[in-house]
Amino acid sequence: MDASFLDLLMAQQEEVTEAEGGGGIWVVADVVDGAVAPVTLEAIGAARNLAGALGAYVYAVLLGDGVSDLAATLYQAGADGVRVADHPALASFAVEPYMEVLVNLFQAEGPEVILFGATPQGQELAPRVAQRLGGGLIEHATAMTLDEATRTVQAAVPIYGGEYFEIVACPQARPQILTVEPGAFPAPFMDPYRKGEPKSVEVTPVEPRVRLLGPADNFTPPPVPLAQAPVIVAAGRQAGGFRLVEQLATALGGQVAGDRGARDAGWIRPEQIIDVRGVTVAPKVYVAVGIRGDTFHNAALENSRFILAIHPDPTAPIFRVADLCVEADPQEVLPALLQAMGA
Amino acid sequence: MDFTFSPEHQALRRMIREFAETEIAPIAAELDREHKVPLEIMRKLGEIGLLGVCFPQEYGGMGAGETGYCILMEELGRVCANTAVNVGAHIGIGAMCIHLDGTPEQKRKYLTPLARGEKIAAFGLTESNAGSDAANVRTRAVREGDSWILDGGKVYITNGGYADIITVMAVTDPALGARGGITAFVVETDSPGFKVAREEDKMGIRGSSTAELVFEELRVPHENVLGKVGEGFVTFMKSLDMGRLTLGAACLGGAQQLLEQSVYWAKTRRQFGEELAHKQAVQWMIANMATEIEALRSLVYRVAWLVDTGQPFTQLAAMCKLYGSEVLSRAVDMAIQIHGGLGLSRDFPIERAFRDARINEIFEGTNEVQRIVIASNIFREFGVRIRP
Amino acid sequence: MRIVVILGRMLDPRGIVVNPRAGRIFVNREEYILQPADRCALEAALRIKEAVGAEVVALPRTFLPDDDVLRQALAIGADRAIYIAGKPVALPDDGLMARVLLAAVERLGEVDLILTGATTMDTGQGQLGPRLAEALGWPQIVGAWTAEVADGSVRAVRQDGGGYVWVEASLPAVVTFVPGALKLRYPDGRRLINIYKGVGEIAAALERWEAKDLVAPEALTPLLERRGQDFPPERERGVRLSGSPEEIARAAADALRSRLPR
Repeated sequence: MDASFLDLLMAQQEEVTEAEGGGGIWVVADVVDGAVAPVTLEAIGAARNLAGALGAYVYAVLLGDGVSDLAATLYQAGADGVRVADHPALASFAVEPYMEVLVNLFQAEGPEVILFGATPQGQELAPRVAQRLGGGLIEHATAMTLDEATRTVQAAVPIYGGEYFEIVACPQARPQILTVEPGAFPAPFMDPYRKGEPKSVEVTPVEPRVRLLGPADNFTPPPVPLAQAPVIVAAGRQAGGFRLVEQLATALGGQVAGDRGARDAGWIRPEQIIDVRGVTVAPKVYVAVGIRGDTFHNAALENSRFILAIHPDPTAPIFRVADLCVEADPQEVLPALLQAMGA
Repeated sequence: MDFTFSPEHQALRRMIREFAETEIAPIAAELDREHKVPLEIMRKLGEIGLLGVCFPQEYGGMGAGETGYCILMEELGRVCANTAVNVGAHIGIGAMCIHLDGTPEQKRKYLTPLARGEKIAAFGLTESNAGSDAANVRTRAVREGDSWILDGGKVYITNGGYADIITVMAVTDPALGARGGITAFVVETDSPGFKVAREEDKMGIRGSSTAELVFEELRVPHENVLGKVGEGFVTFMKSLDMGRLTLGAACLGGAQQLLEQSVYWAKTRRQFGEELAHKQAVQWMIANMATEIEALRSLVYRVAWLVDTGQPFTQLAAMCKLYGSEVLSRAVDMAIQIHGGLGLSRDFPIERAFRDARINEIFEGTNEVQRIVIASNIFREFGVRIRP
Repeated sequence: MRIVVILGRMLDPRGIVVNPRAGRIFVNREEYILQPADRCALEAALRIKEAVGAEVVALPRTFLPDDDVLRQALAIGADRAIYIAGKPVALPDDGLMARVLLAAVERLGEVDLILTGATTMDTGQGQLGPRLAEALGWPQIVGAWTAEVADGSVRAVRQDGGGYVWVEASLPAVVTFVPGALKLRYPDGRRLINIYKGVGEIAAALERWEAKDLVAPEALTPLLERRGQDFPPERERGVRLSGSPEEIARAAADALRSRLPR
C-alpha cells in the first residue's frame, strides 16, 4: 500500500458533510493580505470545542475578491461547511456590502452562535449584525464555556485590559454573537486531510457609504507621554547598541527609553530616563534591554504589567522584577527576537 | 454634622486635579530649576475660571466659596509649591483686599480682570522694618488734590516682579499709626514712580517672584483708596486671615503628596531582605504623617466652612497656618528620612519639597505671630489683654 | 445642526487594586471619571460646533445612579444634557441601551451626527455606536482620530494598516473616537459650579427622561447577564528562558505578542 493511496483513503474518510435545518456555530473570516487571519483559525478551533458539546456544526463565512482558494484552510482548521462570497465588490472591507451578504445568509441559516475576530472588521460588523438580527453581542471573549442546559455560551471578557475578567452570557436573545480576542485561543490543529466543498453565496453589490478620500499625510496623532506609554523598550549600559532597540520598539509599536547608562551613551534624552528621579512608568509591556536594574530604575517601573529583561549577567537585579528573563547578550538575542516578531 | 463635600466641590476638585496633573506636574521641577515663574499656567488657570474661584460671578469669579478656594490650594500644593504660592498671593491676599473692601466700581475695574487671570495681583505690606510687625509700616501717602503721592518701598513681595495690580498699605497719618493712620491703595504697576528694585534669590519657592519694590512720587488717584482712609490696617488683617487659611490648605496638599510618595517608596525599596513597609520605624513615620494630615484636613475644611457660613474664624485661620506649615515641615523631614539618600537628590522631588516647605513657617505672618494671635484670642476670653 | 454625544463613566483605575490571589477587587477610592474615548467624542463635537455651529446634546451610555456624567458634559461645554433614568445593570448592556438611545434620538429629532467613544476603557465595549448606526440606518466611521463637518458630510481621520486615511460619510452619520485622540479642554469653572448647584441659565440645560417613557417595558430586558468573575493567574516573576537563541526568541516573541495592547 503506497502513501498516495493512504492519502486518498484519509481524504475520503474526512470529506466533511453539513447538517440540514439551520443552527450551527458560524465564524466570519478575516482575510489579511490574501490569507486567513490567525484569529479566524483560533475562532474555528474554539467553535469546534463548543460544537462538540452542543452537537452542532461549525461553519465559516469567507468574504472578498478571489478568496475561494482560502476555503481549504478553513476546512483544515475544523469548519464543517464554508460559504464563500467572492465578488469584486467585496475586494476591500466596507460595512454595507459585507452586511448585505452576512444578513441575507444569517437570516436564511438561523445560526445559534456567530463568532467574529475582535479585529477592526469584526468590531464594525458584529454590532451591526447583532442589532439587525436582534442578537446579543459579547465583545473580546478570551475564554468560552457552555451552559449546556440552556445552550448558552459563557465568555470571559477582560476588564481594564485584563486586570480581571467578567464572565458574561446572553441567556435569551438569539443568535449569540461574540468577538474573539486575537491570540486568546490556541491555534487549532490543521488537518491536511480535512476537505470539503464550499458553497458560494450570491452577492448583490451594494455601494459603501463611507468613502475613502486618501491618505492623511499631514496627520500625526497627539504624542503620548512616556509616563502613559503602553509599550516601552528601554536600553541600558549592556545593550551594546541602540539601533536594534529602536527597531524592536517600532516592531512593538512602543516608545524608546533607557536608564542612566543609556543617557551616558548618548542614546536617549534626559527626559527618557526611567528612574524614580526621572520618569515613572506603568506600561502594559516593558522590555529592558541590557539594563542591570538598580533600585531607582526598578522602582520606577513597579507598575508595569509585563516585563521582559535581556541581560548577560544572571545576577542582574532586573531579573528579580522581570516576568521573563533572558540571560544573554542583547546584540545576539535581538536579531532573533525581531525575526520572531515578524519585523 | 456632615463631613462630605458638596457635589460642586467634588466636581471642582476633579477638574483642578486633572489640570494640575496634566499642565503643572510635568513642569514643576523645571520651574524650580530654572527659576521660572509659571505665567503661562496662571493664564490658563484664569481662562478656566480658577483664579476667581472664591469671588462672586458678577465680578468674573466662580462663586465656589472659601471651600472651593481651599480645594484649589490643596490640589496645587500637591503638585507644585510655586504655583500654589503665586496663586495664593494673587487670589488670597492681593485680590482678596479688593473683594473684601472694594467699592462696586473698584471691583468691576480691578477684581474682574484679576478673577479672569487677565491681570495678576500682589499684596504690598511688608517693609524692611515692618513684616510681622505690620503696624510699623513707613511708606508714606500724602494727599494732593484728587490724588495721593506714595513714597517708600516694600520688600519680599510675592508676585511683585510681574504683578499688574498691587494692593499697598501706606501711612496716611503718622500720628494715628495702625489705629486710623494706615490706608490701603490699589496701585497699578505701570504708573510712573513704580519700580521693581530687585528679585530675591531664594532657597525655596524659586519658581515665584519675591521682589523689592520702590515707590518714588507714585501718584494714585483717590478713587483707588480701598475702604476708608485710615482703615487700611483692618482691610489687610482681614485678607491675611483668608490667606492663612488657604496657606494651610496648600500645606495639606503638599504633605499628602509626600505621604503618598513615601508609601510608594516604602513598598518598593528593599533592605535587609524586605520592603521598608515592613520596618516598624517606617510604619510609625507613615502613621504619624497620615494622622497629622487627617487632623489638618479636618481643621482646614472646618475653617473654610466657618468662612462660607459667615462665622468668626480669625483664631482658627491662624491655627491652620501654624499647624499646616508645621505638619508639612515634619512630613517633608520624615519623607526625606524614609527616602534616604534619594531624598537629597536634586533629581527627585522630595529635595525640592524640603526647600519649598520652609517658607510656610515664615510668610503671611511667622508662626510666632500666629501663636501670638491664637494666645491673645484665648486670653481675651478671660479678660487678659496681651501685648505682642 | 444637532450633534448627540453619548458619554459613560468608569471607576478610576488608579483607585482600585486587583488581587488575583484573593480573587477580589479592592476599591480604595471610589471615584468615577468620564470614559476617555467618550470625552474625545465630546471634544470633537465642541470643535465642530465652534467651526460650523451646532447644538451639542449629551446622552448617557448606560443607566446611571446619578446624573454626574451629564453635569460634567455640560460643564465642559454641551448645550443640553438628558439624564435617562432606568434601572442600572451590573454590566453595560449596549444592546439594551441601543433601543433606549434610538428612541431618545428619535424623540430629540433632527439629529445629524452621533458621536461616542470607540471603546470603553474598563469593559472594552465598542458596540454602542455601530448598533445605533444600524438601528438608524446610518453610515458609521469607527475609530476616528479627528472629525470635521462640511457640505453635509462628516470627514474623519482613521487608522488604516500602519497609516492614517481621511474618510467621508454623508450626514446623518455615527462617528466613534479612539481614546486619547484629541487634546481635551477643561470644564469651565463657572459653568461647573452653576450646573452642580443647579443655578443660573445652565440649570435648565439638564433634563430628565424616563426610560420607561421611551420604550416598551419588554425592551428594557437586558440582553447580557453577568455570571461571575475570573482572575488572571498570579504573577510569577523571574522565569528564565532557556534553549537556543531561536527558541528563546520565539518564546519571548509569543509572550510579547499575547501581552501587547490592541
